[in-house]
Amino acid sequence: MRCGLALGLALAARPVAAQRGPTGAAFISVAEHRVEAGYGVERSSGVVLGVEGALPVGPRLSLALRAQGGSLHTSSPGAVNRDVGQVTAEARMAAAPWLMFQLGATRRVYSTIIARQRWTIVHLGAGVRVPFAVHAISGLARAALLPVVSVNGLDRPEVAFTAAAGMEYRVRSLAIQALYSLERYDFPAREAVRRLEQLGQLTLRCDLRKRTR
Amino acid sequence: MKRLALGLAMLAGVAARATAQTSTAEVLRAAHDFYEQLDIERALPLLREVVSPSWPLEVTAQQRIDAYTYLGACLTLAGKRDSAVLYFRAAVEREPFTDLDPRLFTPAQLELFHRARRLTFAVAARPVAPSRIDPRTERLTFTVVTTHAASLRAELRTAAAPSGVTLFDDESAGLREIPWSGLLADGRLAPPGRYELVVAARSRLLERADSARVYFDVRHEAPPFEDTLPDLTDRQLLPEQLSKSAARGDLLKGLAVGGGALIISGALANGDLGGSLKAGAGIVAGGAALTGAIAFLARRHQSDIPENVEANARRRSERLAANEAIAHRNAEKLAQTVLLITPAAGVGP
Repeated sequence: MRCGLALGLALAARPVAAQRGPTGAAFISVAEHRVEAGYGVERSSGVVLGVEGALPVGPRLSLALRAQGGSLHTSSPGAVNRDVGQVTAEARMAAAPWLMFQLGATRRVYSTIIARQRWTIVHLGAGVRVPFAVHAISGLARAALLPVVSVNGLDRPEVAFTAAAGMEYRVRSLAIQALYSLERYDFPAREAVRRLEQLGQLTLRCDLRKRTR
Repeated sequence: MKRLALGLAMLAGVAARATAQTSTAEVLRAAHDFYEQLDIERALPLLREVVSPSWPLEVTAQQRIDAYTYLGACLTLAGKRDSAVLYFRAAVEREPFTDLDPRLFTPAQLELFHRARRLTFAVAARPVAPSRIDPRTERLTFTVVTTHAASLRAELRTAAAPSGVTLFDDESAGLREIPWSGLLADGRLAPPGRYELVVAARSRLLERADSARVYFDVRHEAPPFEDTLPDLTDRQLLPEQLSKSAARGDLLKGLAVGGGALIISGALANGDLGGSLKAGAGIVAGGAALTGAIAFLARRHQSDIPENVEANARRRSERLAANEAIAHRNAEKLAQTVLLITPAAGVGP
Protein backbone atom coordinates (compact mmCIF):
# COMPACT_ATOMS: atom_id res chain seq x y z
CA MET A 1 0.00 0.00 0.00
CA ARG A 2 2.72 2.34 0.81
CA CYS A 3 4.90 1.22 -1.96
CA GLY A 4 5.79 4.68 -3.27
CA LEU A 5 7.92 5.43 -0.28
CA ALA A 6 11.18 3.95 -1.43
CA LEU A 7 10.84 5.20 -4.98
CA GLY A 8 10.29 8.65 -3.70
CA LEU A 9 13.37 8.31 -1.60
CA ALA A 10 15.24 7.12 -4.63
CA LEU A 11 14.23 10.14 -6.64
CA ALA A 12 15.13 12.41 -3.84
CA ALA A 13 18.54 10.85 -3.63
CA ARG A 14 19.28 10.89 -7.35
CA PRO A 15 21.98 13.25 -8.54
CA VAL A 16 21.21 15.43 -11.49
CA ALA A 17 24.47 15.97 -13.27
CA ALA A 18 26.79 13.38 -14.63
CA GLN A 19 29.90 12.79 -12.59
CA ARG A 20 33.21 12.32 -14.26
CA GLY A 21 34.48 9.89 -11.68
CA PRO A 22 33.01 7.24 -9.44
CA THR A 23 30.75 8.62 -6.75
CA GLY A 24 29.46 7.32 -3.49
CA ALA A 25 26.51 8.75 -1.60
CA ALA A 26 24.70 8.29 1.67
CA PHE A 27 21.39 9.84 2.52
CA ILE A 28 18.81 10.10 5.20
CA SER A 29 15.18 10.97 4.63
CA VAL A 30 12.27 11.98 6.77
CA ALA A 31 9.23 10.56 5.00
CA GLU A 32 5.51 10.98 5.38
CA HIS A 33 3.29 8.47 3.66
CA ARG A 34 -0.45 9.01 3.18
CA VAL A 35 -2.88 6.38 1.93
CA GLU A 36 -6.61 6.59 1.30
CA ALA A 37 -8.18 3.17 0.69
CA GLY A 38 -11.76 3.85 1.67
CA TYR A 39 -11.17 3.99 5.41
CA GLY A 40 -9.96 7.54 5.71
CA VAL A 41 -6.45 8.90 5.28
CA GLU A 42 -3.86 6.71 6.92
CA ARG A 43 -0.65 8.54 7.80
CA SER A 44 2.69 7.03 8.66
CA SER A 45 6.16 8.45 8.91
CA GLY A 46 9.70 7.48 9.68
CA VAL A 47 13.36 7.66 8.78
CA VAL A 48 14.86 5.84 5.80
CA LEU A 49 18.58 5.41 5.21
CA GLY A 50 20.30 4.64 1.95
CA VAL A 51 23.56 4.33 0.09
CA GLU A 52 24.46 4.58 -3.57
CA GLY A 53 27.38 3.97 -5.85
CA ALA A 54 27.67 5.34 -9.37
CA LEU A 55 30.23 4.61 -12.06
CA PRO A 56 30.74 6.45 -15.35
CA VAL A 57 30.73 4.20 -18.41
CA GLY A 58 31.32 6.89 -20.97
CA PRO A 59 31.65 10.61 -21.34
CA ARG A 60 27.93 11.09 -20.81
CA LEU A 61 26.58 7.86 -19.39
CA SER A 62 26.80 6.50 -15.89
CA LEU A 63 25.26 3.59 -14.04
CA ALA A 64 24.10 3.66 -10.44
CA LEU A 65 23.02 1.10 -7.91
CA ARG A 66 21.16 2.14 -4.82
CA ALA A 67 19.91 0.36 -1.70
CA GLN A 68 17.58 1.80 0.90
CA GLY A 69 15.74 0.65 3.97
CA GLY A 70 13.85 1.92 6.99
CA SER A 71 10.76 1.70 9.13
CA LEU A 72 7.54 3.68 9.01
CA HIS A 73 5.44 4.10 12.10
CA THR A 74 1.79 4.98 12.23
CA SER A 75 -0.66 6.11 14.85
CA SER A 76 -3.69 5.81 12.63
CA PRO A 77 -6.39 3.48 13.93
CA GLY A 78 -6.24 0.04 12.34
CA ALA A 79 -2.87 0.62 10.65
CA VAL A 80 0.32 -1.29 11.37
CA ASN A 81 3.97 -0.37 11.29
CA ARG A 82 6.02 -1.69 8.41
CA ASP A 83 9.57 -2.08 7.19
CA VAL A 84 10.58 -1.08 3.69
CA GLY A 85 13.56 -2.09 1.61
CA GLN A 86 14.38 -1.61 -2.03
CA VAL A 87 17.09 -1.87 -4.64
CA THR A 88 17.28 0.43 -7.67
CA ALA A 89 19.36 0.19 -10.79
CA GLU A 90 19.56 3.30 -12.91
CA ALA A 91 21.18 4.65 -16.05
CA ARG A 92 21.87 8.38 -16.33
CA MET A 93 22.71 10.28 -19.44
CA ALA A 94 23.94 13.85 -19.30
CA ALA A 95 22.53 15.64 -22.34
CA ALA A 96 24.08 18.93 -21.21
CA PRO A 97 25.90 20.17 -18.14
CA TRP A 98 22.55 21.30 -16.80
CA LEU A 99 20.30 18.49 -18.11
CA MET A 100 20.23 14.78 -17.34
CA PHE A 101 17.90 11.98 -18.36
CA GLN A 102 17.31 8.98 -16.14
CA LEU A 103 15.93 5.51 -16.71
CA GLY A 104 15.74 2.92 -13.98
CA ALA A 105 13.97 0.02 -12.34
CA THR A 106 13.17 -0.55 -8.69
CA ARG A 107 12.31 -3.67 -6.78
CA ARG A 108 10.72 -2.88 -3.44
CA VAL A 109 9.29 -4.91 -0.60
CA TYR A 110 7.02 -3.80 2.24
CA SER A 111 6.86 -6.06 5.24
CA THR A 112 4.37 -5.96 8.07
CA ILE A 113 3.55 -8.50 10.71
CA ILE A 114 0.66 -9.72 8.61
CA ALA A 115 1.71 -9.43 4.96
CA ARG A 116 4.45 -8.66 2.45
CA GLN A 117 3.86 -6.53 -0.64
CA ARG A 118 6.18 -6.42 -3.65
CA TRP A 119 6.45 -3.53 -6.07
CA THR A 120 8.20 -3.33 -9.41
CA ILE A 121 8.60 0.18 -10.77
CA VAL A 122 10.19 1.62 -13.87
CA HIS A 123 10.88 5.32 -13.93
CA LEU A 124 11.78 7.62 -16.82
CA GLY A 125 12.54 11.25 -16.14
CA ALA A 126 14.78 14.26 -16.41
CA GLY A 127 16.51 16.62 -14.05
CA VAL A 128 17.99 20.06 -14.36
CA ARG A 129 20.77 21.73 -12.44
CA VAL A 130 20.78 25.51 -12.22
CA PRO A 131 24.19 26.76 -11.11
CA PHE A 132 24.27 29.91 -9.06
CA ALA A 133 26.80 32.62 -9.72
CA VAL A 134 28.21 31.55 -6.41
CA HIS A 135 30.34 28.78 -7.79
CA ALA A 136 29.58 26.01 -5.28
CA ILE A 137 25.79 26.29 -5.18
CA SER A 138 23.22 24.87 -7.55
CA GLY A 139 19.46 24.61 -7.64
CA LEU A 140 18.01 21.23 -8.50
CA ALA A 141 14.68 20.17 -9.99
CA ARG A 142 13.51 16.93 -11.50
CA ALA A 143 10.48 14.98 -12.49
CA ALA A 144 9.82 11.43 -13.62
CA LEU A 145 6.95 9.44 -14.97
CA LEU A 146 6.40 5.91 -13.68
CA PRO A 147 5.10 4.09 -16.77
CA VAL A 148 5.39 0.67 -15.17
CA VAL A 149 4.11 0.12 -11.67
CA SER A 150 3.30 -3.46 -10.74
CA VAL A 151 2.00 -4.16 -7.25
CA ASN A 152 0.66 -7.50 -6.15
CA GLY A 153 -3.00 -7.17 -5.27
CA LEU A 154 -3.47 -3.81 -7.00
CA ASP A 155 -4.28 -2.60 -10.48
CA ARG A 156 -1.93 -0.39 -12.43
CA PRO A 157 -2.23 3.22 -11.17
CA GLU A 158 -3.88 5.78 -13.43
CA VAL A 159 -1.57 8.53 -12.22
CA ALA A 160 2.00 7.81 -11.19
CA PHE A 161 4.75 10.38 -11.08
CA THR A 162 7.36 11.90 -8.86
CA ALA A 163 8.86 15.40 -8.64
CA ALA A 164 11.54 17.01 -6.51
CA ALA A 165 13.23 20.38 -5.91
CA GLY A 166 16.12 21.43 -3.74
CA MET A 167 19.57 22.84 -3.38
CA GLU A 168 23.09 21.51 -3.64
CA TYR A 169 26.10 22.91 -1.82
CA ARG A 170 29.55 21.71 -2.82
CA VAL A 171 32.69 21.77 -0.75
CA ARG A 172 35.65 20.39 -2.70
CA SER A 173 34.68 16.85 -3.72
CA LEU A 174 31.78 16.73 -1.30
CA ALA A 175 28.26 17.68 -2.37
CA ILE A 176 25.43 18.11 0.10
CA GLN A 177 21.90 18.15 -1.20
CA ALA A 178 18.67 19.13 0.55
CA LEU A 179 15.60 18.09 -1.42
CA TYR A 180 11.88 17.97 -1.08
CA SER A 181 10.21 15.30 -3.17
CA LEU A 182 6.72 14.07 -3.79
CA GLU A 183 5.58 10.75 -5.14
CA ARG A 184 1.98 10.25 -6.14
CA TYR A 185 -0.08 7.20 -7.16
CA ASP A 186 -3.78 7.30 -8.05
CA PHE A 187 -5.09 3.79 -8.50
CA PRO A 188 -8.32 3.12 -10.40
CA ALA A 189 -11.51 2.68 -8.44
CA ARG A 190 -12.40 -0.86 -7.52
CA GLU A 191 -15.85 -1.59 -6.06
CA ALA A 192 -16.45 2.14 -5.73
CA VAL A 193 -13.34 2.60 -3.70
CA ARG A 194 -10.49 4.65 -5.21
CA ARG A 195 -7.09 4.03 -3.67
CA LEU A 196 -4.75 7.02 -3.38
CA GLU A 197 -1.16 7.01 -2.18
CA GLN A 198 1.24 9.88 -1.70
CA LEU A 199 4.68 10.23 -0.26
CA GLY A 200 6.39 13.46 0.71
CA GLN A 201 9.89 13.48 2.02
CA LEU A 202 12.73 15.71 3.02
CA THR A 203 16.12 14.22 2.13
CA LEU A 204 19.59 15.18 3.13
CA ARG A 205 22.11 13.57 0.81
CA CYS A 206 25.87 13.58 0.91
CA ASP A 207 27.81 12.76 -2.27
CA LEU A 208 31.49 12.06 -2.31
CA ARG A 209 33.18 12.14 -5.69
CA LYS A 210 36.47 10.51 -6.41
CA ARG A 211 38.63 13.00 -8.22
CA THR A 212 39.81 11.91 -11.64
CA ARG A 213 42.42 13.48 -13.87
CA MET B 1 110.35 21.24 -65.54
CA LYS B 2 108.50 18.18 -66.66
CA ARG B 3 105.97 18.63 -63.88
CA LEU B 4 105.41 22.18 -64.92
CA ALA B 5 104.88 21.05 -68.45
CA LEU B 6 102.45 18.43 -67.30
CA GLY B 7 100.50 21.00 -65.28
CA LEU B 8 100.34 23.36 -68.18
CA ALA B 9 99.24 20.57 -70.43
CA MET B 10 96.44 19.66 -68.07
CA LEU B 11 95.40 23.25 -67.87
CA ALA B 12 95.37 23.41 -71.59
CA GLY B 13 93.37 20.21 -71.72
CA VAL B 14 90.69 21.64 -69.49
CA ALA B 15 90.61 24.75 -71.56
CA ALA B 16 90.32 22.72 -74.69
CA ARG B 17 86.75 21.78 -73.80
CA ALA B 18 85.64 25.01 -75.31
CA THR B 19 86.37 25.57 -78.93
CA ALA B 20 87.36 29.18 -78.42
CA GLN B 21 89.80 28.19 -75.75
CA THR B 22 91.37 25.38 -77.69
CA SER B 23 93.67 27.62 -79.65
CA THR B 24 94.76 29.61 -76.62
CA ALA B 25 95.48 26.40 -74.79
CA GLU B 26 97.43 25.04 -77.73
CA VAL B 27 99.49 28.18 -77.90
CA LEU B 28 100.17 28.00 -74.19
CA ARG B 29 101.09 24.35 -74.49
CA ALA B 30 103.47 25.12 -77.31
CA ALA B 31 104.97 28.00 -75.34
CA HIS B 32 105.43 25.72 -72.41
CA ASP B 33 107.13 23.11 -74.54
CA PHE B 34 109.58 25.74 -75.74
CA TYR B 35 110.10 26.84 -72.15
CA GLU B 36 110.84 23.28 -71.08
CA GLN B 37 113.36 23.02 -73.89
CA LEU B 38 114.86 26.34 -72.72
CA ASP B 39 113.93 27.76 -76.11
CA ILE B 40 113.02 31.05 -74.52
CA GLU B 41 113.22 33.02 -77.73
CA ARG B 42 110.39 31.00 -79.23
CA ALA B 43 108.34 30.78 -76.04
CA LEU B 44 108.25 34.50 -75.35
CA PRO B 45 106.43 35.60 -78.52
CA LEU B 46 103.73 33.05 -77.99
CA LEU B 47 103.15 34.10 -74.40
CA ARG B 48 103.13 37.77 -75.34
CA GLU B 49 100.56 37.09 -78.00
CA VAL B 50 98.25 35.49 -75.49
CA VAL B 51 98.35 38.46 -73.14
CA SER B 52 98.19 40.99 -75.94
CA PRO B 53 94.98 43.05 -76.21
CA SER B 54 94.91 42.14 -79.87
CA TRP B 55 94.76 38.40 -79.20
CA PRO B 56 91.59 37.40 -81.04
CA LEU B 57 90.66 34.34 -79.07
CA GLU B 58 89.08 34.01 -75.72
CA VAL B 59 91.50 33.80 -72.84
CA THR B 60 90.36 32.59 -69.46
CA ALA B 61 91.51 34.36 -66.34
CA GLN B 62 93.60 31.39 -65.34
CA GLN B 63 95.19 31.18 -68.82
CA ARG B 64 96.08 34.83 -68.63
CA ILE B 65 97.64 34.40 -65.21
CA ASP B 66 99.59 31.37 -66.43
CA ALA B 67 100.79 33.36 -69.40
CA TYR B 68 101.97 36.20 -67.18
CA THR B 69 103.64 33.75 -64.82
CA TYR B 70 105.55 32.01 -67.57
CA LEU B 71 106.43 35.29 -69.15
CA GLY B 72 108.03 36.22 -65.84
CA ALA B 73 109.74 32.85 -65.64
CA CYS B 74 111.06 33.11 -69.21
CA LEU B 75 112.28 36.64 -68.79
CA THR B 76 114.08 35.63 -65.62
CA LEU B 77 115.92 32.98 -67.54
CA ALA B 78 116.63 35.55 -70.24
CA GLY B 79 118.18 37.85 -67.65
CA LYS B 80 115.53 40.54 -68.05
CA ARG B 81 114.82 40.83 -64.38
CA ASP B 82 112.82 44.04 -64.34
CA SER B 83 110.52 42.84 -67.07
CA ALA B 84 110.17 39.52 -65.27
CA VAL B 85 109.06 41.33 -62.16
CA LEU B 86 106.50 43.31 -64.12
CA TYR B 87 104.91 40.16 -65.49
CA PHE B 88 104.98 38.43 -62.14
CA ARG B 89 103.24 41.49 -60.69
CA ALA B 90 100.64 41.31 -63.41
CA ALA B 91 99.93 37.73 -62.41
CA VAL B 92 99.79 38.55 -58.72
CA GLU B 93 97.56 41.57 -59.23
CA ARG B 94 95.05 39.45 -61.11
CA GLU B 95 95.22 36.54 -58.71
CA PRO B 96 96.79 37.22 -55.32
CA PHE B 97 96.72 33.49 -54.63
CA THR B 98 99.27 32.96 -57.44
CA ASP B 99 102.46 31.35 -56.20
CA LEU B 100 105.42 29.50 -57.60
CA ASP B 101 106.19 25.98 -56.59
CA PRO B 102 109.79 25.94 -55.28
CA ARG B 103 110.20 22.46 -56.64
CA LEU B 104 109.45 23.60 -60.19
CA PHE B 105 111.03 27.04 -60.43
CA THR B 106 114.57 28.20 -60.01
CA PRO B 107 115.74 30.25 -57.03
CA ALA B 108 116.16 33.25 -59.28
CA GLN B 109 112.58 32.97 -60.48
CA LEU B 110 111.35 32.58 -56.93
CA GLU B 111 113.34 35.58 -55.79
CA LEU B 112 111.93 37.79 -58.53
CA PHE B 113 108.47 36.51 -57.92
CA HIS B 114 108.75 37.42 -54.23
CA ARG B 115 110.02 40.83 -55.21
CA ALA B 116 106.96 41.22 -57.41
CA ARG B 117 104.77 40.32 -54.44
CA ARG B 118 106.46 42.92 -52.30
CA LEU B 119 105.93 45.57 -54.99
CA THR B 120 102.31 44.64 -55.51
CA PHE B 121 99.63 44.80 -52.90
CA ALA B 122 96.41 42.85 -53.14
CA VAL B 123 94.17 40.88 -50.86
CA ALA B 124 91.83 38.06 -51.81
CA ALA B 125 89.58 35.47 -50.29
CA ARG B 126 88.78 32.09 -51.74
CA PRO B 127 85.13 31.41 -52.55
CA VAL B 128 83.45 29.35 -49.86
CA ALA B 129 83.05 25.73 -50.78
CA PRO B 130 79.71 24.04 -50.17
CA SER B 131 79.91 22.40 -46.77
CA ARG B 132 77.94 21.13 -43.82
CA ILE B 133 79.14 22.40 -40.45
CA ASP B 134 78.14 21.18 -37.02
CA PRO B 135 78.94 24.27 -34.90
CA ARG B 136 79.41 22.12 -31.82
CA THR B 137 82.40 20.30 -33.27
CA GLU B 138 83.38 21.89 -36.55
CA ARG B 139 84.45 25.23 -37.96
CA LEU B 140 84.04 26.85 -41.33
CA THR B 141 87.43 27.94 -42.63
CA PHE B 142 87.94 30.97 -44.84
CA THR B 143 91.18 31.21 -46.80
CA VAL B 144 92.52 34.68 -47.46
CA VAL B 145 95.80 35.97 -48.78
CA THR B 146 97.79 39.17 -48.89
CA THR B 147 100.65 39.54 -51.30
CA HIS B 148 102.94 40.68 -48.50
CA ALA B 149 102.88 41.82 -44.89
CA ALA B 150 99.81 43.82 -44.05
CA SER B 151 97.34 44.60 -41.32
CA LEU B 152 94.42 42.39 -42.12
CA ARG B 153 90.84 42.61 -40.93
CA ALA B 154 88.27 39.99 -41.81
CA GLU B 155 84.68 40.70 -40.90
CA LEU B 156 81.59 38.62 -41.42
CA ARG B 157 78.34 40.47 -42.12
CA THR B 158 74.86 39.64 -43.05
CA ALA B 159 73.88 41.21 -46.30
CA ALA B 160 71.58 43.63 -44.50
CA ALA B 161 73.70 44.58 -41.51
CA PRO B 162 76.35 47.30 -41.67
CA SER B 163 78.56 45.61 -39.09
CA GLY B 164 79.18 42.04 -38.18
CA VAL B 165 81.55 39.66 -36.50
CA THR B 166 85.26 40.40 -36.66
CA LEU B 167 86.96 37.12 -37.35
CA PHE B 168 90.52 38.40 -37.67
CA ASP B 169 92.21 41.70 -37.01
CA ASP B 170 95.98 41.45 -36.93
CA GLU B 171 99.16 41.40 -38.98
CA SER B 172 99.29 38.85 -41.74
CA ALA B 173 101.38 37.93 -44.75
CA GLY B 174 100.57 35.43 -47.45
CA LEU B 175 98.02 32.74 -46.98
CA ARG B 176 95.91 32.64 -43.83
CA GLU B 177 93.11 30.37 -42.78
CA ILE B 178 90.44 32.00 -40.61
CA PRO B 179 88.04 29.73 -38.78
CA TRP B 180 84.43 30.67 -37.98
CA SER B 181 82.43 28.93 -35.30
CA GLY B 182 79.04 29.71 -36.84
CA LEU B 183 78.18 32.16 -34.06
CA LEU B 184 77.50 35.85 -34.25
CA ALA B 185 78.88 38.51 -31.94
CA ASP B 186 76.09 37.97 -29.42
CA GLY B 187 76.97 34.31 -29.13
CA ARG B 188 73.92 33.09 -30.99
CA LEU B 189 73.93 30.78 -33.93
CA ALA B 190 74.05 32.64 -37.22
CA PRO B 191 70.52 32.78 -38.57
CA PRO B 192 69.78 31.59 -42.09
CA GLY B 193 70.50 34.14 -44.79
CA ARG B 194 73.13 35.58 -47.05
CA TYR B 195 76.44 36.59 -45.58
CA GLU B 196 79.54 38.31 -46.89
CA LEU B 197 83.07 38.00 -45.73
CA VAL B 198 84.74 41.35 -46.09
CA VAL B 199 88.53 41.23 -46.07
CA ALA B 200 90.32 44.56 -45.85
CA ALA B 201 94.07 44.96 -45.66
CA ARG B 202 96.59 47.77 -45.55
CA SER B 203 100.12 47.14 -46.74
CA ARG B 204 103.00 47.41 -44.30
CA LEU B 205 105.41 48.04 -47.18
CA LEU B 206 103.43 50.32 -49.46
CA GLU B 207 100.90 53.04 -48.94
CA ARG B 208 98.18 50.90 -50.33
CA ALA B 209 95.04 49.20 -49.18
CA ASP B 210 92.84 46.62 -50.77
CA SER B 211 89.72 44.66 -49.96
CA ALA B 212 87.83 41.64 -51.17
CA ARG B 213 84.41 40.13 -50.59
CA VAL B 214 83.11 36.61 -50.61
CA TYR B 215 79.42 35.81 -50.43
CA PHE B 216 77.73 32.70 -49.19
CA ASP B 217 74.39 31.47 -47.92
CA VAL B 218 73.74 29.90 -44.56
CA ARG B 219 70.85 27.55 -44.01
CA HIS B 220 69.87 25.63 -40.91
CA GLU B 221 69.32 21.93 -40.77
CA ALA B 222 67.53 21.19 -37.50
CA PRO B 223 64.62 19.17 -36.15
CA PRO B 224 61.34 21.05 -36.60
CA PHE B 225 60.61 23.48 -33.82
CA GLU B 226 57.42 23.45 -31.77
CA ASP B 227 55.13 26.44 -31.73
CA THR B 228 54.50 27.98 -28.36
CA LEU B 229 50.95 28.10 -27.08
CA PRO B 230 49.06 31.22 -28.10
CA ASP B 231 47.81 33.74 -25.59
CA LEU B 232 44.66 32.75 -23.76
CA THR B 233 41.61 34.30 -25.31
CA ASP B 234 38.58 35.63 -23.48
CA ARG B 235 36.73 32.47 -24.41
CA GLN B 236 39.39 30.37 -22.71
CA LEU B 237 39.20 32.36 -19.50
CA LEU B 238 36.43 32.40 -16.96
CA PRO B 239 34.80 35.68 -15.99
CA GLU B 240 36.54 36.99 -12.91
CA GLN B 241 33.84 39.40 -11.85
CA LEU B 242 30.11 39.06 -11.50
CA SER B 243 27.68 41.44 -13.04
CA LYS B 244 24.88 42.95 -11.02
CA SER B 245 22.45 40.92 -13.04
CA ALA B 246 24.24 37.76 -11.86
CA ALA B 247 23.53 38.73 -8.26
CA ARG B 248 19.88 39.30 -9.07
CA GLY B 249 19.89 36.02 -10.95
CA ASP B 250 21.02 34.17 -7.84
CA LEU B 251 18.20 35.69 -5.88
CA LEU B 252 15.69 34.70 -8.53
CA LYS B 253 17.06 31.18 -8.76
CA GLY B 254 16.76 30.71 -5.02
CA LEU B 255 13.19 31.97 -5.10
CA ALA B 256 12.42 29.73 -8.08
CA VAL B 257 13.71 26.61 -6.38
CA GLY B 258 11.80 27.45 -3.22
CA GLY B 259 8.66 28.15 -5.22
CA GLY B 260 9.12 24.84 -7.02
CA ALA B 261 9.21 22.95 -3.75
CA LEU B 262 6.01 24.69 -2.59
CA ILE B 263 4.27 24.00 -5.89
CA ILE B 264 5.19 20.34 -5.71
CA SER B 265 3.82 20.04 -2.18
CA GLY B 266 0.71 22.01 -3.10
CA ALA B 267 -0.42 21.85 -6.69
CA LEU B 268 1.03 18.44 -7.53
CA ALA B 269 -0.04 16.77 -4.31
CA ASN B 270 -3.35 15.00 -4.11
CA GLY B 271 -5.80 17.32 -2.34
CA ASP B 272 -7.89 14.38 -1.18
CA LEU B 273 -4.97 13.26 0.98
CA GLY B 274 -4.57 16.64 2.65
CA GLY B 275 -1.07 17.51 1.43
CA SER B 276 2.21 15.78 1.99
CA LEU B 277 4.99 16.80 4.35
CA LYS B 278 4.48 20.47 3.76
CA ALA B 279 6.91 21.24 6.52
CA GLY B 280 9.65 19.57 4.47
CA ALA B 281 8.71 21.63 1.44
CA GLY B 282 8.80 24.73 3.60
CA ILE B 283 12.26 23.92 4.88
CA VAL B 284 13.62 23.46 1.38
CA ALA B 285 11.81 26.54 0.09
CA GLY B 286 13.09 28.66 2.95
CA GLY B 287 16.60 27.34 2.54
CA ALA B 288 16.62 28.01 -1.20
CA ALA B 289 15.24 31.52 -0.78
CA LEU B 290 17.71 32.26 1.97
CA THR B 291 20.57 30.95 -0.14
CA GLY B 292 19.50 33.18 -3.02
CA ALA B 293 19.23 36.20 -0.73
CA ILE B 294 22.64 35.61 0.82
CA ALA B 295 24.20 35.12 -2.60
CA PHE B 296 22.56 38.32 -3.80
CA LEU B 297 23.82 40.36 -0.87
CA ALA B 298 27.26 38.81 -0.96
CA ARG B 299 27.67 39.48 -4.65
CA ARG B 300 26.57 43.07 -4.33
CA HIS B 301 29.48 43.70 -2.00
CA GLN B 302 31.98 41.33 -3.53
CA SER B 303 31.89 41.08 -7.27
CA ASP B 304 35.05 39.04 -7.70
CA ILE B 305 34.73 35.34 -8.37
CA PRO B 306 37.63 33.84 -6.42
CA GLU B 307 37.17 30.42 -7.98
CA ASN B 308 37.41 31.83 -11.47
CA VAL B 309 40.32 34.09 -10.57
CA GLU B 310 42.11 31.05 -9.21
CA ALA B 311 41.18 28.93 -12.22
CA ASN B 312 42.37 31.62 -14.64
CA ALA B 313 45.61 32.02 -12.75
CA ARG B 314 46.08 28.27 -12.92
CA ARG B 315 45.44 28.25 -16.68
CA ARG B 316 47.87 31.11 -17.21
CA SER B 317 50.45 29.35 -15.10
CA GLU B 318 49.97 26.10 -17.00
CA ARG B 319 50.33 27.92 -20.32
CA LEU B 320 53.47 29.65 -19.10
CA ALA B 321 54.95 26.37 -17.93
CA ALA B 322 54.06 24.71 -21.22
CA ASN B 323 55.69 27.51 -23.19
CA GLU B 324 58.81 27.35 -21.05
CA ALA B 325 59.01 23.63 -21.69
CA ILE B 326 58.56 24.20 -25.42
CA ALA B 327 61.23 26.89 -25.39
CA HIS B 328 63.56 24.53 -23.58
CA ARG B 329 62.94 21.77 -26.10
CA ASN B 330 63.40 24.21 -28.97
CA ALA B 331 66.67 25.37 -27.47
CA GLU B 332 67.84 21.78 -27.36
CA LYS B 333 66.87 21.38 -30.99
CA LEU B 334 68.62 24.62 -31.88
CA ALA B 335 71.76 23.30 -30.26
CA GLN B 336 71.64 20.40 -32.70
CA THR B 337 71.38 22.72 -35.68
CA VAL B 338 73.78 22.09 -38.53
CA LEU B 339 74.80 24.93 -40.83
CA LEU B 340 74.59 24.31 -44.54
CA ILE B 341 76.98 26.58 -46.39
CA THR B 342 76.67 27.30 -50.10
CA PRO B 343 78.56 29.89 -52.12
CA ALA B 344 76.63 32.88 -53.45
CA ALA B 345 77.21 35.41 -56.18
CA GLY B 346 76.49 38.69 -54.43
CA VAL B 347 74.56 40.55 -51.79
CA GLY B 348 71.24 39.21 -52.91
CA PRO B 349 69.43 37.48 -55.71
